[in-house]
Amino acid sequence: MSTANVTLFDDEFLKKLEYLNIISKRLFAGQLRAERRTRRRGTGLEFADYRAYVPGDDFRHLDWKAYLRLNRLILKLFEEEEDLPIYFFVDSSQSMNYGNPSKLDYARRVAAALSYIGLANLDRVNIVSFADGVKGELQPQRGKGRIFKIFRFLTDMTAGGETNARESFKTYCTETRRRGLAVVISDFFDQHGFETALDVLRHFRHDIFVLHIASHEEIDPPLKGELQLVDSESQLGREITITPSLLAAYRAEFLRYCESLESYCGKYQLGYVRTATDFPFEELVLKVFRQGRFLK
Amino acid sequence: MTFLAFSPLQAALLALLTGGLVIALYFLKLRHRRVMISSSILWRKVLDERQAHSLWEKLRKIFSIIVAVTITLLIALSLARPEIESLTGKNERIVIVLDTSPTMSTQTADGRTRWQHAVERAETLLDGGGPTTEFRVVDTSGETASAFTTNRGDARSLIEQMSPRSAEPQFPKVDGRDSRVYFVSDGVALHGVPSFVRRVSVFEPAQNVGITAFEIRSIPSTPLGYEAYLEVQNYGNPTDVVITLSAPGGQRLTRNVRLSKEEIFKDAFDLSRFAGGGIRATIQSKDDALSLDDVAFAYLPVKRKTRTLLVTKGNNYLETLLKLDNYVEFLKVDTANYREASNIDAYIFDRFAPPTPPSRPALIIGAPNVAWLRTPNGIVQKPEFTTWSEDHPIMQFVSVHDVSIERATQVDPTNLTVIAASKQTPLILASEKPRWVMLTFDLDSSDFAFHVGFPVFIENVLAWFSREQLALRRSPGTVEVPLANAQVRTIDGKAVSASQQLGKTFFEAAEPGLYVATQGDNRVHVAVNLANRSFSDVNQSVFKDDRAAAGQRYWLRRELWFYMLLAAVVLVGVEWFTYHRRITL
Repeated sequence: MSTANVTLFDDEFLKKLEYLNIISKRLFAGQLRAERRTRRRGTGLEFADYRAYVPGDDFRHLDWKAYLRLNRLILKLFEEEEDLPIYFFVDSSQSMNYGNPSKLDYARRVAAALSYIGLANLDRVNIVSFADGVKGELQPQRGKGRIFKIFRFLTDMTAGGETNARESFKTYCTETRRRGLAVVISDFFDQHGFETALDVLRHFRHDIFVLHIASHEEIDPPLKGELQLVDSESQLGREITITPSLLAAYRAEFLRYCESLESYCGKYQLGYVRTATDFPFEELVLKVFRQGRFLK
Repeated sequence: MTFLAFSPLQAALLALLTGGLVIALYFLKLRHRRVMISSSILWRKVLDERQAHSLWEKLRKIFSIIVAVTITLLIALSLARPEIESLTGKNERIVIVLDTSPTMSTQTADGRTRWQHAVERAETLLDGGGPTTEFRVVDTSGETASAFTTNRGDARSLIEQMSPRSAEPQFPKVDGRDSRVYFVSDGVALHGVPSFVRRVSVFEPAQNVGITAFEIRSIPSTPLGYEAYLEVQNYGNPTDVVITLSAPGGQRLTRNVRLSKEEIFKDAFDLSRFAGGGIRATIQSKDDALSLDDVAFAYLPVKRKTRTLLVTKGNNYLETLLKLDNYVEFLKVDTANYREASNIDAYIFDRFAPPTPPSRPALIIGAPNVAWLRTPNGIVQKPEFTTWSEDHPIMQFVSVHDVSIERATQVDPTNLTVIAASKQTPLILASEKPRWVMLTFDLDSSDFAFHVGFPVFIENVLAWFSREQLALRRSPGTVEVPLANAQVRTIDGKAVSASQQLGKTFFEAAEPGLYVATQGDNRVHVAVNLANRSFSDVNQSVFKDDRAAAGQRYWLRRELWFYMLLAAVVLVGVEWFTYHRRITL
């Protein structure tokens, strides 16, 4: 295991991940043979149908027993098992560099874990780092051996810039036409709103899974007194006196914001999981994702 | 609003300066601490929402500055001692004069006294006025006169220490120009009250019988004979009165009389059965409201023979007179054989005087030329008594206006008491120390010995020399005794504090009583009695129809600055609480 791997999670956790599989609600056409069922007939192990033999067919799939009974050449058709394109959109805006541990660290670890699951299932894993645009992109990776590359990419990812998910997704999706599973890992603090961004992914008919990360400091801010709150992305400050009622109003607003995101996801049948950075990472992956039927 | 400490302009300047300073400091307050947050999206939303929808959110930004400015203005203006007449009254001065005359001890129908009612009324006056009102408490006995003070507690405690005095009351000198003067009285003893004085009456009719006169006097016809003159008057409804005269020896005289309204009982009581000493007269009647005038004191001299040595070459008239006197133990010696003796009470030198003064008092008849007496300056022919002192004990019941004198010796009366004199020369002189009396004429050259007053004169002289005197009669209050450095005691032997002034002794006699002033061999009895018709007539009030005057009571009991500081403290508390609870900004 590389150094990058050590910072993300240990070997034992990796072994646990090997038993998991990412669930996609839709079936997508893959390019390479893999372990994921598709609509196409191919060379998989699962029997699918019969059809009459035509010249040029692979005679290895002829059903000789049927030929003896029917005296006709009948070809057995099997389901084609292809790979699943999985796009991990990791928010690396400046706001993700907040909290202890930072939301970006948490996002890295989740992305790495899910990537490993995808690689283990021979899916094509794409990782996109975005903020006010696509900051970095890891070309599709396939096979467990590529995990170190993913680790390195994630480790090298740095926070910075304002969030503009819509433009980022739009840019990426117009360049990559193939549909797949889009996993968006973000705090969703986007001046332009999260709806328009997710609308872009929906428009490109991706199967979307939303992982909403919040830090404990955002959920229950430990603020007191006369302060100048400075937005980490825009660097704009605002003088404010923290009062108990104001804190309560903020907490209510935060909850409302989360609920609106969850409500949006529910409306369009998008997967949604909200987590806090102080929530144990392993538990999130091994339990919460499975309970949310994102993993099996 | 007016200001006691500053002018309105100064107060306004002070308010402007402090208010401006606070506002300046408010805007120079510490910078807010910078805190980095991930995103201000939610915060902005919350703040915009609160600012948009809440008037309080708009107001509370300026609430703190308003409170701070208010606090400092309250403190600054409190220094200027503001007053609002409708709340605190105006800054005025009130003088409360309490009548401490004896009649204020008269009981009222509710069982209390007029004095207790007066105290109550005075305290009501103290409760009136505003917090800046200055009070002064004065009494009519001259014992209490406070300075002006706003401290009602001090004034109240002063009133509580006061009490009716038996002394003659006198309305104090108070200035009615810059003060409101209240006189709390029953209007009985003090009538001459200035017109600017507001009268607060505590008068209530009462039943009273009082001793208006009591004295012991000698009976001229009887040497060492005394009688007690008593006068009792009823100032209420008809009532039975028990009059009692008692002496320490157990002697007692009692008489029951019925007195109708305003009736005066006058009588002389024969004291021949009394051994001597203090005599106490008391009266008892039903529902008597004033006890001070129910008792009076006098002193009856103890009867004792005077051992008298007549030194003469021969004077039949004098010898006969002294021999007939039951209270004189008569001794006679010729001038040639005169020797001073230790057992003699008094000497009578007839046309003779020893070369040195005798150790005992002496009556010198004629004016012999000796050093310790006055040197004769000549002879005056046919001098006439033009002046004489009837108050002197030796002249009591003695008339000299028709005494004829052939000739008298002219002497210098310096440092001597002239008892009687003609235009040209003193005729009767007295010396206090050593005690002697001198006639500047002899009996052979005048008809004084043939006058009825002469035996009385000799009796008086012997009594003045060696017998006890009748008590001095004084009224309660400051009592003056004509003895220097005398020790004063009550008749029971209790010491009374006394002061010395101009060769006299003064002491305070608050109550009627009998006192003894002693200085060496000299002893003076002082009978202090109320015995005053104006005090006993407790219903003779000029305040009868007066309605009670009362001070206006104001809502605030202290000066406005006190409440302003209180409000400032409360506001500081409110500001502290709201700021730390982040209710205000």
